[in-house]
Amino acid sequence: MLLSAVLWGPWLAALILALLPVPDARTAMAPASSLKPSETRSRLKGVAIALASGLLGLQVWLWQAVDIGAGGFQLAEFQTWLPGLGLNYSLAVDGLALPLLGLNALLTWIVVLSSDRTQVRPKLFYVLVFLIHGGIAGALLSQNLLLFLLFYELELIPVYLAIAVFGGPNRDLAAMKFLVYTAISGLILLGALVALGWVAGGAMPEFEFGAIQSAQIPLNLQLALAIALLIGFGIKTPLVPLHAWLPDTYVEASAPIAILLGGILAKLGSYGLFRFILQLLPEAWQVLSPYLAIWGAVCVLYGAIAAIAQKDIKRMVAYSSIGHMGYILLAGAAATPLAVTGGIVQMASHGLILAVLFDLVGIIEKKVGTRDLDVLNGLFNPVRGLPAIAAFLVVGGMASAGLPGLVGFVAEYLIFQGSISVFPIPTLVCIFGTGLTAVYFVILMNRTCFGKLDNFTSYYPQVTPNERVPAFLLTLLVVFFGLAPGNLTRWSEATAVQLVRPAPTATVSALVPMHIEVKR
Amino acid sequence: MTAIAPILSPSTHPLADVVHRLEAGGSMLPDTPENLMQIIGLYKAYAVPMDFYWRDLLYIGERVFLEPLPFFKYFLPQEYLDLANHYAGDTADLRVWRGRATAHPELLAFMEKGELKTKLPKLFHHLWHDRINMEFAEECMRAMLWHRNMGGQLDPYLDSEEYRQNADRAIRAYFRGNPLLLGLYQLFPELFLEQCRQATLYSCLGLFWEVMAPVFFEMSDIYDEGGFRGVPDAMNFLVNGIFAIAGRPIYHRVYIGSECYELVPKSKGFTWLYEAAFPYVEAVFYRTAPFRGTKSYNAQAGQIPAHQEDFHYGVLYADTFPVGSAGIPPTLLSQDMLHFLPPYMLEYYRQHCRGEDDMLVQLTVSFQRSMYNVTSAVIQAGRAAFLYPLDDPNPRHRQQNRAYFEGQLRRFARTDYDIDQACRINYVQKQSYR
Amino acid sequence: MASIVDIAVSAGSFATLVTAVKAANLVDTLGTGGPFTVFAPNDAAFAKLPPGTITTLVQNIPQLTRILCYHVAAGVYRQADLQSRPRLASLEGSDLYLNFPEDLATGFEVNNATVVAADIEADNGIIHVLDTVVLPRPHWFDGIVANS
Repeated sequence: MLLSAVLWGPWLAALILALLPVPDARTAMAPASSLKPSETRSRLKGVAIALASGLLGLQVWLWQAVDIGAGGFQLAEFQTWLPGLGLNYSLAVDGLALPLLGLNALLTWIVVLSSDRTQVRPKLFYVLVFLIHGGIAGALLSQNLLLFLLFYELELIPVYLAIAVFGGPNRDLAAMKFLVYTAISGLILLGALVALGWVAGGAMPEFEFGAIQSAQIPLNLQLALAIALLIGFGIKTPLVPLHAWLPDTYVEASAPIAILLGGILAKLGSYGLFRFILQLLPEAWQVLSPYLAIWGAVCVLYGAIAAIAQKDIKRMVAYSSIGHMGYILLAGAAATPLAVTGGIVQMASHGLILAVLFDLVGIIEKKVGTRDLDVLNGLFNPVRGLPAIAAFLVVGGMASAGLPGLVGFVAEYLIFQGSISVFPIPTLVCIFGTGLTAVYFVILMNRTCFGKLDNFTSYYPQVTPNERVPAFLLTLLVVFFGLAPGNLTRWSEATAVQLVRPAPTATVSALVPMHIEVKR
Repeated sequence: MTAIAPILSPSTHPLADVVHRLEAGGSMLPDTPENLMQIIGLYKAYAVPMDFYWRDLLYIGERVFLEPLPFFKYFLPQEYLDLANHYAGDTADLRVWRGRATAHPELLAFMEKGELKTKLPKLFHHLWHDRINMEFAEECMRAMLWHRNMGGQLDPYLDSEEYRQNADRAIRAYFRGNPLLLGLYQLFPELFLEQCRQATLYSCLGLFWEVMAPVFFEMSDIYDEGGFRGVPDAMNFLVNGIFAIAGRPIYHRVYIGSECYELVPKSKGFTWLYEAAFPYVEAVFYRTAPFRGTKSYNAQAGQIPAHQEDFHYGVLYADTFPVGSAGIPPTLLSQDMLHFLPPYMLEYYRQHCRGEDDMLVQLTVSFQRSMYNVTSAVIQAGRAAFLYPLDDPNPRHRQQNRAYFEGQLRRFARTDYDIDQACRINYVQKQSYR
Repeated sequence: MASIVDIAVSAGSFATLVTAVKAANLVDTLGTGGPFTVFAPNDAAFAKLPPGTITTLVQNIPQLTRILCYHVAAGVYRQADLQSRPRLASLEGSDLYLNFPEDLATGFEVNNATVVAADIEADNGIIHVLDTVVLPRPHWFDGIVANS
């Protein structure tokens, strides 16, 4: 019941908002209504915050109900739906999905909280945000391949609309690019997952996750399927060279949508890599893993170098996210419990950090009117600058660059620690890539935050508490999980051990030292 | 003001617009009602703390003098609060301000309760910095002491044998019965002499500001009565004031016990204009000390002048946006002026930029405008004293006037050390600079 | 012939100057000392000064004396003697600047004043009449004007 609530909660919230008898203002100007537009907006926002808070509360309930020590799927719910197709309403949660579910609810809450009275068409905005939330929750909870595909595709529609309606000047093109790329990703996944179901099922196709997991699939078939899935999820993650949609989409999307896109939506890609290839096709994964480690290192280097070359801070952050996905691929390739824990933590931590950065970049763009590194300067100015925002940006940047004491370090250290014995060279390359991350964040911070404000041009509006509070809360989490990483890692440790179990035939004794390694 | 027919071809100076405005009898500051309001509002806000500055400067110069531990030099005795200004009140030599000669009522009210609006012992207000910041006034004095050779006859006099002897008598009298300090004086006579020179400059700056405070109060009153039609009117009032007061004596007396020692006697004939005003403008407005924040500089890029002569850190060059924790230059003065802003300025600042939150910055920008106007008045007074009327029919005279104006503005157009970028004359031409 | 002071008194157009000289106790010096070259501003010259200027000076004799001394040079210098000198040291200490422009048919210029009557002989010196009160130039003045 609990998982159903988590899944349908956001859809219900979207429905409530859509039916709310409040007109949706097309612009910031007053609509024909008895209420003043500001009242309409604050009422709408109040309802949205209440709903988002409810969903966040639901997460607390969910996290309470989960047994940390048990690795596998929990709280399963099953209902046959279309048995002829093999489509069942089958939900469960494990340590891989749980952090992402929490992140999903958290980012939705942050996005709703940081929305302001200048938001164009607020009602549509909130509805789309909750629909995106619902789609992602569905994909993360699904234990049936077809059900997963359904949500995976369904979520595209609100995202497309959100980019196309609320984005920047080139939003149409960006939205279209995003749609084409992810639709192709969806098609490849549809083909690959259906094929997987047929291969695993024998006479009748079998789409239930548990059943496929125990099925024996020949290695050559596994390899073919794994490569197809890699491409499908690689587009979504994205992995170089399948990333071409990302910079434009992230940059053109409005700040809150970019937070959702980069923070959680793209994580469906890395989630898919772990869930459907690493977990379902372990032998193929093992064969491919040396290449995957190299691929991960290439992503890291490419993302970092491309970010260094950027002049637009939002684009810089967008490219940084490509680099950070490379660490997750490396973690998966290494497939030690430690590395996989690190990979899962990296998904959550990157979601938090990217949300901080996109939120701050959005505020800077709104106040200063530019994202150009050559124009931005001196935001640390205590009286005329955006000192609090600049301070958060420095923390966010340091976290992204993997400085100890912040959440980014936890994830990266776990990954490197877990992978260095398996793939030393790619790991070292990735560590070098971390250094490059510091390079572009120092460039970003130095140009934007330090230096002097121009007396002629620097008359920026003040940052409102409404804008400052969400950024502060996210920054606080980045620091909190950095100082107390156990609160983040312990949810995934048991699952990580299960994920990397080479095959059902593995002996239990082989598992024990690994488990100790995780607990260390 | 009747229009003056231009008889010269247009100037080719980088600041040609300003040259033409000065030639037409205007100020470096454009003539707009907003500028007029800002400069007068700031004169008022400046005059109240200045009423304290000049009294305390004289007190330190005349009474505290060489006190080795001057903890209470900012604690002005009633005697000096009641000291009659020579240019205000019924007893004035020349009545510039129609108001009273003793300390300004707003100043007294502030000294009693401070920003905290609470009556506390004076010491607490002092330690909490809830007071008039004399440190700023002393900084100006030190700028004058440090930038020697800024003109006038007082400066060479400080090095003369006559001054040494005067100082020697005062030092011996001050430390009478104090063998320790008298012994130190024997060991390090130059040290004590330099302290005397500093005390002389305390007195010099005090006498200078004694004039400026009533001038600014009167300007504020005239503005409130609707008397000024524009920025040039306000500038011309200053020009006339400079002339009227030019001959006021500059001197330094020290009161030790019941006796008065004259370090710089009135009979030397030192005048307000030559020995105080011109050196003050040269040292404080144009140069000052390189305290942080007035200008962002890069020593490697050669932005630090090799010669003290070329310093350019005064209010005319101040970057009013604070950098890091370096404060808003001149921070302490801004803080002082904030307490005495007229209501129309408070209202004005609330409406712009970040309102209450950056009032100090807005105020400093207005102060910068008002000081560009004062500098303009000094330039125009110099033109009137040493050159020709603006409407002189002789083209050669007009050409000399122009050479003078262009020469004065060349100080702001110099490209060495990026002075042209550091100075704010281009900024104050636009109202959008706040 | 008469002394410098006698000439100034009898001319009638130097009332302010005579008052100032009396106030500064310079009557004896200018009456019997010398020889001097006096650049005497007439009443019209004093009238050009903004109100209050004279008041303050008369209240402060040393300062008044200093300004008056700027109008006096030791020795006798007729217009012809001055023609070759760009500067002349005044009793005040600062220099007077002399100029003989072509566009001026008669007379010459001292600082920013024009000599309206030159070479008036007296017992103890010579008088040149100025149409403007001249004031000592601050040390920066030359640099400012010359740069152009």
